[in-house]
Amino acid sequence: MLAHQFAMESPMIQAEAVEAMEFSELANRYRVSGVPHTVVNDGKGNLIGAVPETNLLAEIQRALAD
Amino acid sequence: MAQLLNDQIQGQIKELFGNLKEPVEIMFFGTKEQCEYCDDTRQLVEEVSALSDKLSLSIHDIQADAGTARQYGVDKTPGLVLAGRDGNQVTDFGVRYAGIPSGHEFSSFINDLVIVSNRDSGLTPQTREFLKGLTKPVHLQVFVTPT
Repeated sequence: MLAHQFAMESPMIQAEAVEAMEFSELANRYRVSGVPHTVVNDGKGNLIGAVPETNLLAEIQRALAD
Repeated sequence: MAQLLNDQIQGQIKELFGNLKEPVEIMFFGTKEQCEYCDDTRQLVEEVSALSDKLSLSIHDIQADAGTARQYGVDKTPGLVLAGRDGNQVTDFGVRYAGIPSGHEFSSFINDLVIVSNRDSGLTPQTREFLKGLTKPVHLQVFVTPT
């Protein structure tokens, strides 16, 4: 999983694959309606769908700049 | 309980696991409280970890081992951490699962074990360079479903 590959590169990154049906309350909080849906820093960033490496990197940079 | 992984799937995984380099510890976190998928998840990781001598499994209770759960950022059950192991030293790479990695997610889980064992993310040099320079915490949560 791409998020897990990212986590391998930095001790600052924690990446959790969350089973959306088992944890539906959390999925609802982030308005998850399709999968995969990636949430960065508790909602500062959001990515819907399977995205390439550069998109995830850009969303992390955007979330950190906020 | 019946076997979750049939002989054919076990054979395919063993073939993939032939390339594993370094030891990986799968940490399982369960609970004695209501947990629909804890038993299945535990059985699944027991079956997977038995397929390579590079893999070890540790079983934790999120309440009884609250300190360990906190240390590895586990707050849901079933919870899994894929960590590097060198002798007695466990290295946390921040790779976690909340919920059972079954169906479509099962192949991600197997691939993650290979990546962690190889200690290589496979990312481009540009991405690696940026990530190595991170000074602020980044928490990624990827919502997935088995189908």
